[in-house]
Amino acid sequence: MLRKKRREEEESEINITPMMDIVFIMLIFFIVTTSFIKETGINPNRPEAETAIRAEQGNILIAISPSDQIWMNKRPIELESVKIMIEAAHAENPESSVVIVADELASTGLVLDVMDQIRSSGISKISLSARKK
Amino acid sequence: MKRKYKRKKDESEINITPLLDIVFIMLIFFIVTTSFVKEISLDVNRPTKSPVKEQKRSEVISVRISAEGQIFVQERLVDIAAVRANIESNLAIKPSASVVIVSDRDADAGFLVKVIDQSRLAGAKNVSLAAQK
Repeated sequence: MLRKKRREEEESEINITPMMDIVFIMLIFFIVTTSFIKETGINPNRPEAETAIRAEQGNILIAISPSDQIWMNKRPIELESVKIMIEAAHAENPESSVVIVADELASTGLVLDVMDQIRSSGISKISLSARKK
Repeated sequence: MKRKYKRKKDESEINITPLLDIVFIMLIFFIVTTSFVKEISLDVNRPTKSPVKEQKRSEVISVRISAEGQIFVQERLVDIAAVRANIESNLAIKPSASVVIVSDRDADAGFLVKVIDQSRLAGAKNVSLAAQK
């Protein structure tokens, strides 16, 4: 009588091996696909472009608002501090390139100034954000 | 004898509960922090400021954007919709020419992106930016 009871108890244990498999596969998937993009803090109105492509390595975002403010890491920054901020972000993530998210109404001069600042920090892969037509 | 053996086998199983805890915590962390949003963007080529490489005038298709958003291809005023056709016809004469976009500092960034896009569509291999003082 006692033995029978024991065996029944053992059989009622749930087999968690398939669940473990799935959990591990999900874990690996998320580790591989994750990229830590730091939000700029604003969402400018991107200009439309047909030849725009996905920036696969574009992890460093820097935004320019319509009123010519530069935003990075959820706060407005000065043009002079762009270089330091970009250098710090690049040191964290050496393979990433920079994407400038400029509003349609931002002035070209500021966009080019920001671009020069980024270039002086040693990054040559710069792209301008756009919206697919 | 038989019973003893059985108990030993039971005890020798590795306890995977802490492993599961850690795996779940990692999984949740990666699910929460991952972001699949990739910026869609245009690569730009900005020549370095200091030693401006003098390109032969004949090898350059200049596109100028005025502060009011008027576009001049080779100093001829054209509509935004006609930029592509104009660059194409210029490229037909000078196939190896590169497009240099000279923009007024006060022009909207939207025009800049549109002109870059249009010259890419026209088949220009080398599009670079410059600012007008």
